[in-house]
Amino acid sequence: MSEKAAQSFARIAASARERLDARAGKTRIAVQVGHCSQAVGAAEVARDIEAGLPDTAYVVTTGCDGACFAGPQALVTTADGDQIRHCRVTLDDVASIVAGAANGGGEPVNPDVGAQVEEFFAPQHRATTRGMGEVDAVGVDEYIGEGGFEGLAKALSGAPEDVIETVSDSGLRGRGGAYFPAAIKWRGARSNPGRPKYLVVNCEEGEPGIFKDRHLMEGLPFQLLEGCLIAAYAAGLDQVYLYINAEANLSAQRVQNAIDQARALGLVGGDVLGSGWAVEAEVRRGAGGYVCGDETTMLNTMEGKRREPRMKDPLPVIAGLWARPTVINNAETIASTPYILSAGSDAYSAVGSGDARGTKLISLSGSVRRPGMVEAPMGTTLRELIHDVGGGPESGRSITTLAVGGPSSGVMSADMIDTPIMPGSLHDSGVMLGAGGVVPLDERLDVLDVVRDLAAYNADESCGKCTPCREGTPLQVAALDRVISGSGTSEDMEELKHLANVINAASLCNLGQLAGNPVLSALHFFGDAFENRIESGGG
Amino acid sequence: MITDQRTLRRALRDRFPRDHGQLLPALHFLHEQFGHLPDWGMEVVGWHLGMPASEVYGAATSYTELRIDKPGAHVLRVCTGLPCWQQGGRDIASAVSDDLGLPSGQTTTDGAITFEEVECGFLCGVAPAVEFDHRWHGRATVESVRALIAGARQ
Repeated sequence: MSEKAAQSFARIAASARERLDARAGKTRIAVQVGHCSQAVGAAEVARDIEAGLPDTAYVVTTGCDGACFAGPQALVTTADGDQIRHCRVTLDDVASIVAGAANGGGEPVNPDVGAQVEEFFAPQHRATTRGMGEVDAVGVDEYIGEGGFEGLAKALSGAPEDVIETVSDSGLRGRGGAYFPAAIKWRGARSNPGRPKYLVVNCEEGEPGIFKDRHLMEGLPFQLLEGCLIAAYAAGLDQVYLYINAEANLSAQRVQNAIDQARALGLVGGDVLGSGWAVEAEVRRGAGGYVCGDETTMLNTMEGKRREPRMKDPLPVIAGLWARPTVINNAETIASTPYILSAGSDAYSAVGSGDARGTKLISLSGSVRRPGMVEAPMGTTLRELIHDVGGGPESGRSITTLAVGGPSSGVMSADMIDTPIMPGSLHDSGVMLGAGGVVPLDERLDVLDVVRDLAAYNADESCGKCTPCREGTPLQVAALDRVISGSGTSEDMEELKHLANVINAASLCNLGQLAGNPVLSALHFFGDAFENRIESGGG
Repeated sequence: MITDQRTLRRALRDRFPRDHGQLLPALHFLHEQFGHLPDWGMEVVGWHLGMPASEVYGAATSYTELRIDKPGAHVLRVCTGLPCWQQGGRDIASAVSDDLGLPSGQTTTDGAITFEEVECGFLCGVAPAVEFDHRWHGRATVESVRALIAGARQ
């Protein structure tokens, strides 16, 4: 099948380049429209820029590059290749941006923020997210022009087993929080009998404080789709479902658009690139709830059942969706594969620390000057993320608590800031990297209130299937309320610990098994705060 | 225009194969039509997919983003998750709650505004965030949210 696919792809790439060449000599304005920048007016900025534009310039819509603090951003590239970065653009700035673009450049809007953007990017290593915020997220031509779908073409020119081998060599592990080697799942699905086989891409991203998959879907939808196709080819899968969070409308729109365009080019459908290989892709929407991110829960919801987990024996790669072999990968995992295929497994595994290879997307927010989506090698310390990338807290504030990994993980004290990010556990008390949320908090928030908030979240989101989680999580909140109000005793601390251990030991799903972690980590790092509150009687 | 059992059934038949896997897409469709899931609509979804209404209801009520009760004419949601909380999201929530005289999850007696606190709007990079009538606003302040409410009441 290889030669025909290569020829078909060469034709597609040539016609994309032809269309791109027709725009050469014009000024290009990339307006970053993502779910975050949309909330601060980016869509209106894009609309007004396009409306006022002379013939010598054109606009493309990209996703956000991750520098959320600087949005809305517009990047002007002149015919000579000069770049001007406009930050925190408002409708009042549009006239000057358009006039500047018409005259071959112009002055940047908010250059001080632009300087911050450079500092934000300097310590990062962009591999999976290279091109994010720069390449067109709506039209496919620029993605192809930048080498897009070459990874797929390369994959199709060899045997599926070779693709699995390359991904295995790269050391790629699942980026949703469990860090299971991707190649093992693919191999498992490939070797199991039963058709059709499915790929379900977990784009549910319902964990508070995480927004990296939305950035991928909005900024690099074609790359995500290419990753799906590579995975499907390697693992021998017939149908791809991209399971997207109910609220992530822009993400769903961009991914659907990517599927439609890829289908029109013959990259998705009954005969991919004339190779005879068939694959279909479809968007499915979740309907809210943290537990939807648990992979067996996701399968239940796709089958029309209640939103609750099921037993993981048999594993989904043996009997998953409708009891067929099913690979479930996180969006970030899948989006990393085109880079691994096109740049090679060595390029991906060149960064990292010890066994933990590659980069991780981090959602950085809370008490930092430069919140946003970050890509950094495994082994990067929280200090580097919070201070070097994020610029640290506003002056006069100091970090007191490090909330890492969301409500399934926990909190650490500020002196743990030199902890490196690693797949899995960051501290034995139950702190994990999870999906990569890093939320430093300052003295304005009391750590006991923070822990109560995380515990209450787990209680609210418990689906109710398993008694330890359903009954235990509200009891944790009640005990925390007693401590916080000053009516607690040392027995409450014992009970909190006991409850957390039981919840973690006796719940079925991944999330229930971690629902005691906020309490366990807080008791470890902030035991004094609990004791002081109990002794002072809340005063 | 979907107004009754017959028109809904026809619309479902045109859009969704008779397959239990279509339950969530069909519920989304119903939700888009009405802004919530009316009981009679869930029953029709069950007829179409060959599922008992109790199963449809059981699945529908397990999702946090599907509304069973009809909301007010305008819906205000204020994010109070950790990143927004750190940047003042709870100050906005309590100010709005006081202004409207409503706890989270309730609708004003004239049916104009439903107020809800949400755990995360996934706009942590532009915190604090609020959603008003399905549109998110980042870097919100108490004043900017009051202006949204006042604008809707005019």
